[in-house]
Amino acid sequence: MDVQYEFANKFRDQILRCSSCGFCRAICPLFGLTKRPALNARGKMLVLKEVMDGSIDLNDELVETLFQCTTCAGCAELCPSGVNVPDIIKQVRKDMVFLDSCHPVFKGMNKLLQEHTNIYGEDEPEDFERERNTPAEYVFFIGCVGSYREDEPTMATLDLLDHFRVDYTLIDEVCCSGVLEDVGYEINKNLAQKNIDLILATGAKTVITGCPFCSRTFNNKTQYDRLKQEKIKIIHISQLLKDFDPGVKTDKLVTYHDPCDLGRHCGIYEEPREIIRKIAPNFVEMRHNRANALCCGAGGGVRGAFAKNSIGMARRRLEEVEEIQAEVLLTECNSCLHNLDNAKLRAQKFKIYTTSQFINQLIESDR
Amino acid sequence: METSIKERLKEIVGPENYTDDLIDLIAYSKDATEHKHRPEAAVWPLDVNQVSKILMLANEKLFPVVPRGAGTSLAGLPVPERGGLILDMARMDKILNISIEDRLAVVQPGVVYQDLERALAPDDFCFPPDPASGAVCTLGGNVATNAGGIKGAKYGTTKDYVLALEVVLPDGRILHTGSQCMKTSSGYDLTKLFVGSEGTLGVITEITLKINPRPPLVTTSMATFDDLEDAGRAISEIMYSGILPSALEIVDQQSLKAINQNTDMNLPEVEALLVAETDGYTQEEVEFQMAKITKIFKKNNAATVRRAENEEEAAALWTARKTAYGVTARINNTLFVEDLAVPMSKVPDILRTISDLAKKYDLKIPTVGHAGDGNIHPVISFDGTSRSEVERVEKATKDLFEKVIELGGTLTGEHGIGLAKAPFMRMEHDDVAMDVMLSMKRLFDPNNILNPGKMGLEL
Repeated sequence: MDVQYEFANKFRDQILRCSSCGFCRAICPLFGLTKRPALNARGKMLVLKEVMDGSIDLNDELVETLFQCTTCAGCAELCPSGVNVPDIIKQVRKDMVFLDSCHPVFKGMNKLLQEHTNIYGEDEPEDFERERNTPAEYVFFIGCVGSYREDEPTMATLDLLDHFRVDYTLIDEVCCSGVLEDVGYEINKNLAQKNIDLILATGAKTVITGCPFCSRTFNNKTQYDRLKQEKIKIIHISQLLKDFDPGVKTDKLVTYHDPCDLGRHCGIYEEPREIIRKIAPNFVEMRHNRANALCCGAGGGVRGAFAKNSIGMARRRLEEVEEIQAEVLLTECNSCLHNLDNAKLRAQKFKIYTTSQFINQLIESDR
Repeated sequence: METSIKERLKEIVGPENYTDDLIDLIAYSKDATEHKHRPEAAVWPLDVNQVSKILMLANEKLFPVVPRGAGTSLAGLPVPERGGLILDMARMDKILNISIEDRLAVVQPGVVYQDLERALAPDDFCFPPDPASGAVCTLGGNVATNAGGIKGAKYGTTKDYVLALEVVLPDGRILHTGSQCMKTSSGYDLTKLFVGSEGTLGVITEITLKINPRPPLVTTSMATFDDLEDAGRAISEIMYSGILPSALEIVDQQSLKAINQNTDMNLPEVEALLVAETDGYTQEEVEFQMAKITKIFKKNNAATVRRAENEEEAAALWTARKTAYGVTARINNTLFVEDLAVPMSKVPDILRTISDLAKKYDLKIPTVGHAGDGNIHPVISFDGTSRSEVERVEKATKDLFEKVIELGGTLTGEHGIGLAKAPFMRMEHDDVAMDVMLSMKRLFDPNNILNPGKMGLEL
């Protein structure tokens, strides 16, 4: 059968290169939870090989595996054959959406972002008691989770920026809509244009994002190229914070969860640790860390579409916090925070914060 | 498979541990070879009684049952060539007991090798075989293939550590073999019978392993040889010098060239590169052993000899060996990781043969191996979509194994026979040996329901 799918045109060679060694089992958070080989990268590549050779069709029967992937890239990091599974999965999802084979939650997400400005469809944005759309050196871009679900960490981050006298403004931001690219659709151009216009209007030369995924979207997606053309720098808050000395310390045993979007996808492992070491001399790594970090289970649309497994993956991550008996788990992504917090059992006594939230708390209790 | 059988399987394991979804059948259709066939259903049993009920049902209704670990097999062992049912043991993954006092660990078959290693580490103990797929492979799979690794020359393979097994026989009876003692002369050694039996005689549901203290100190050295025969002589001399290296690995010229073409490592493209490791409890002990090895390297005309002064340097010396597989895997779209063993003195002969076959059939066959125990892995990377290339690979493989047997070698050192080597079984085993093996298969599994078609054991 002739190749008719875009994923095959783009990735045929990579998919064939998967030697089915199964080494991806070691890191795939879904496999670790379910012990179901159909859900890990090898299972997905075997399905795609059969689609390419015409044995099966790309249809609804495959949604459960092809739409159930957090695109955490742990497998790609380990793969001896160098297969970039997340890129392949994202393209396959686009092909499936084109054929109208799509998880209903993802379909709903796309529709929602056509009608609303954020992934939760909320009409009343939090104002965080800050000025918006004013001239400033930096724009602080919060992201949907930080705006609508994790407002406490966001408020704390803004307080910390004030404490460090960072000259920033918020904007009437809308969803960066990068998530649509992960679930088979494309970035909503209207939303992108609105963010670009609002950022440029402030005259800021740098955008600080509270969410590593927004940072990736602004830096890598063509719909945001205008920012690059205008020489606007996009950084994640951890890249800014590393240059400050908070002047406070905790004697608690602290560990750090690398968000996939910041770590494996952007290669930012050291900056968050630099600042954590300044405030927490008792810092200890979890078993899986840096490029080998275990995903929290929230990404790639999995939290929305496969909620039970998403929480299950977060629980497995939290088991590693218990293993080292850490008292505080820090992370740099509101989405990870949200999922990990939802998964935390009452018996688990450690606390989970974003790094900036924790630093702000130390500063406030020091006052 | 009839619907009534599927319904009964669901009753036995519960609906959440049963599947006949297309995506699962595809995932279970392959291992790390090109052999491929879909099962008709798969289950994740949770205990020995479920396994027993499943096998009783299979024997009554006569459908094939194929036990499966992590599916990392390099010889087609868990590929359900005749359909039937996959018994995925991954959810029986508990470490049941670790007794340092008795020097043993009792585990379920789905425990991942590395998870046991992690559990033993706080007591400075280990399960030594160290297979390359240790991060994912399961202990049940290790036992069923008699898996080995780079520590073979000093520490042996899985068979040297299995003390006892719980096995479900094809008729559903539960067999307990061996004992929890370090030694036993009691009765036939039924334990060993199941080690390396590739799931053809019974389903392993519990494993008692002997564990070893882990020597805390290691030293590493690397030597390059312009002449393969010099490297071969060095290997032999080391192995009869009175010391046993904890690892002695070889990387051939084609591997070094492949690594250089695909990385910026700039390795010397010599005929052979050897990496040796010694371990022990005191610095003097490891130094004494390593001094002997480096002396032998030099005596046999090593072009260069390097000793690692610290962990980072040791890691650097290991890079060529550890990179070889990944590099080879990226050269082309299909990969055969071959496996053979020859008497140690024959290592240079077999490496020459491989190099000649690569030229004769116009193939790339980078080769690495556990030189210290004569276990060699030619890694053939080729275009599986080209019919002529596939044919050349098949011819070269057949020629290779004829030579292996001629040299007094064996078809497999640690990967097993499965489907890949089944056609060659009679090359190595004579009529009497094959007849005894067939009789054993008939005794345990008269209806041939367990992993049929493997090991060339046709009833």
